[in-house]
Amino acid sequence: MVRFENVGMRYGAGPEVLRDVSFALESGSFTFLTGPSGAGKSTLLRLVYLAETPSRGLISLFGRDLAILKRTDLPPLRRRIGVVFQEFRLLDHLSAFDNVALPLRLAGRRPSDYSHDVDELMSWVGLGEKLHNRPPTLSGGEQQRVAIARAVVAKPDLLLADEPTGNVDPDMGERLIRLFVELNRFGTTVMIATHDRALIESTRAREMRLVDGRLVEMRSAL
Amino acid sequence: MKPARQGVEEKSRGRILPREQGAASLDLVIGVMAFLAALALGGVLIANRSAASWQAGLTGRLTVQVLPQGDAPAQTEVNAALRVLQTTPGIVYAGALSDAENLALVEPWLGRDASVTALPFPRLIDVQLAPGATPDIGGLERRLKDAAPHAVLDDHRRWIGRLRATADTIVLSALAILGLIALGTAATVAFATRAGLATHREIVELLHLMGAQDRFIARAFEWHYFLAALIAAACGAALAVAAFVAAGSLDQFGLAGVSFLPPLGLPLRELAWLAAIPAAAALIAWATARTSVIAALHEFY
Repeated sequence: MVRFENVGMRYGAGPEVLRDVSFALESGSFTFLTGPSGAGKSTLLRLVYLAETPSRGLISLFGRDLAILKRTDLPPLRRRIGVVFQEFRLLDHLSAFDNVALPLRLAGRRPSDYSHDVDELMSWVGLGEKLHNRPPTLSGGEQQRVAIARAVVAKPDLLLADEPTGNVDPDMGERLIRLFVELNRFGTTVMIATHDRALIESTRAREMRLVDGRLVEMRSAL
Repeated sequence: MKPARQGVEEKSRGRILPREQGAASLDLVIGVMAFLAALALGGVLIANRSAASWQAGLTGRLTVQVLPQGDAPAQTEVNAALRVLQTTPGIVYAGALSDAENLALVEPWLGRDASVTALPFPRLIDVQLAPGATPDIGGLERRLKDAAPHAVLDDHRRWIGRLRATADTIVLSALAILGLIALGTAATVAFATRAGLATHREIVELLHLMGAQDRFIARAFEWHYFLAALIAAACGAALAVAAFVAAGSLDQFGLAGVSFLPPLGLPLRELAWLAAIPAAAALIAWATARTSVIAALHEFY
């Protein structure tokens, strides 16, 4: 599904943010990415969701070597990935419903086809009553749930989440992790960057730890 | 089922891009461009129509001038010229203009007072040819000279040629102006599109990361500018239509323009041509926005 081989990453002429990172995510796996702030977790995720290209090393995604892909090959690959951004990145001028439905619109689906699914998912994340609210009128936790719903609505092959439970209470955090586990059970490969030890311990999933841009510790799924 | 369907549409009609702040200035520029383009197009139509009407009025007609000798042309020469003309095959009418008709011809330039009426005018003979008749102009000219030595034959070819050349110049100039306006509109929309991309860069980047094709992102921009240009240009063209209607109604208010210029109003069927201006502006805006966005996306990502 995802394979990194000796990947290094630096921004401009700055120091290397990631160094010689090698790992593989098997299809259907569930992985936590941990490490202190500034360790390079977000950069690693950005490389996986094709927001950056590595300074060195090889990355392959869905069995395809990114170095030899054409620009026009990338959008279909990106649509197979759901991302929960740390800063949510919701579109403030759209309703919560339209934000969640965005991946489905990008996939060319019609509102009449996806409306029911989106309604159901919004209810599941506790926002059934706030379909028409715009993000600025939602709390931080509610915005985070909209961001999560948007990432999972198209049932992506690969789900990447950057601190997805940072702004929600423990109960909602547990509910959201169940959503990720449920998706994973149906075949989605999941990778979550988090500091939340309780979250990590709750799933007995594999853990990769980054320190100073290096993968220093890997715990296999228990 | 219907209410549920309406609910779906209501929930999903969000525009991918928010309405731009400061878009009014772009609308104003496009509106002004459309107004100027409509004036230029109206100019083309007036020039073409006038040239055609002048040409139609002069084709099939000849004019004979009997130049004055001393104070006035000799009536005997006028009569001799008339006899020659009336016996020439293909000529259906030949008649000398009266003094009053002569004065009416020069009135727009010289006015009407005693000093004008005292001028030694040539006598003019209006000649009408049978439809399709092509008389031997050289032979007729020679026979006229024999009968009336001070008669000059004018078949209007030179005048028609100059009219046509003037009309063609006006049309070409107006087309060049239309081209420049189209170019200016395209440049303005390209600039606005770039500014819009910069304003909405976060949204564009997000869409890009979520796997939007370039044409999906471009569509959000191109329809925005298509509609904006259509509405703004329709307003500009409507203003031009009002201007032409007003120009065409001047004589109703006793404000007739210069009498030797063609009427500046446009009839309804020609006014309809001005509807092409908003359509062209919208298409230019659509195409420019599309190419600008796709070029920028290739450049940025």
